[in-house]
Amino acid sequence: MKSMRYVKPWIFGVAAGAIFVIADAAFPISPPSAYAFCLSCHVRDLVNTLLNAALGLRFQVTEVASRALLLTSPGVLLGAWIAAHLHGEVRLRAADRPVRMAVLGFLVMTIGIIIFGCPTRIVLRAGYGEIYGIVGLVGLMGGVAAATVILKRRWAAGK
Amino acid sequence: MSSMLLSLLFLGIGLAVGFLAQRSRMCFVAGLRDWILVKDTELLVGLFSFLATVWLLTSVLTALGLLHHGVPEYGTAGDASDPPTVLAGQASVARLSVLQASVPPLAALVNRFFLASLVGGFLVGMFSVVAGGCVLRQHVLCAQGDRGAIWYLAGFYGAVVVFYVLLSRFLGWVYS
Repeated sequence: MKSMRYVKPWIFGVAAGAIFVIADAAFPISPPSAYAFCLSCHVRDLVNTLLNAALGLRFQVTEVASRALLLTSPGVLLGAWIAAHLHGEVRLRAADRPVRMAVLGFLVMTIGIIIFGCPTRIVLRAGYGEIYGIVGLVGLMGGVAAATVILKRRWAAGK
Repeated sequence: MSSMLLSLLFLGIGLAVGFLAQRSRMCFVAGLRDWILVKDTELLVGLFSFLATVWLLTSVLTALGLLHHGVPEYGTAGDASDPPTVLAGQASVARLSVLQASVPPLAALVNRFFLASLVGGFLVGMFSVVAGGCVLRQHVLCAQGDRGAIWYLAGFYGAVVVFYVLLSRFLGWVYS
């Protein structure tokens, strides 16, 4: 397992990109398109599918979610746990600001439902050449840059 | 394809991506952040290699006729009262690809969904930097035992219920 100690991020990028596109080409997971992976949309579909089944509601799900459970998010948690466990990297760490983290997760999901994407799928849609994915990616990078510059200034002022 | 196999496919995609993301510490917002803060380009290269791989593969597979779902069409069709048709929109418009470039006039693209994508993307970027990582990274941190990320995911999952109980009636406005 020595060779699996650390995977270079560029290898992740190529592998994940290939998995998503080939899965979309090889399996009936469309519509919607570019939907092999999204942590916002898939979580939305999974939660709504379960709620609809349990409570007889009619919350919105995508077409593919009516044919399958989109277990991507539990899959990521399990895959990451296996990887961390194999390398002794699972350790409980106390939450620094639990309420703030929950609010941030809440806001990112709310926006994700509106614009159809977590950061990963925004980049995926941009890679598909979809204009609104590219627009979302431009906005995303702008937001990251703005927040980083603000944080940097704060730290500089703090020192 | 049976729904059982299809569900397992999504679980498998998640497992593979989760495993690789944990090993590579990949994050879709930390790349630019690290480059601005400490001029570290490793995660940014990961982001661009992902983007380039998807772009090349979709272009080649579409040209070969192996990928014919087109690109998602958002913001142009769909009755305000019927968001699912927007979600299911399939016509291949507004595609920029390596092998086939057909760009509609910009004025036709600038609508509420264009602005929502721009502003929404901006806010997601800011919130993700404050939280310390994108949604994928928060999943990985949660699996590693970071309680902050567990709280993040609690808010993340909870937001779905709140959204569809309280906010989904306003969704049509964005797509009209």
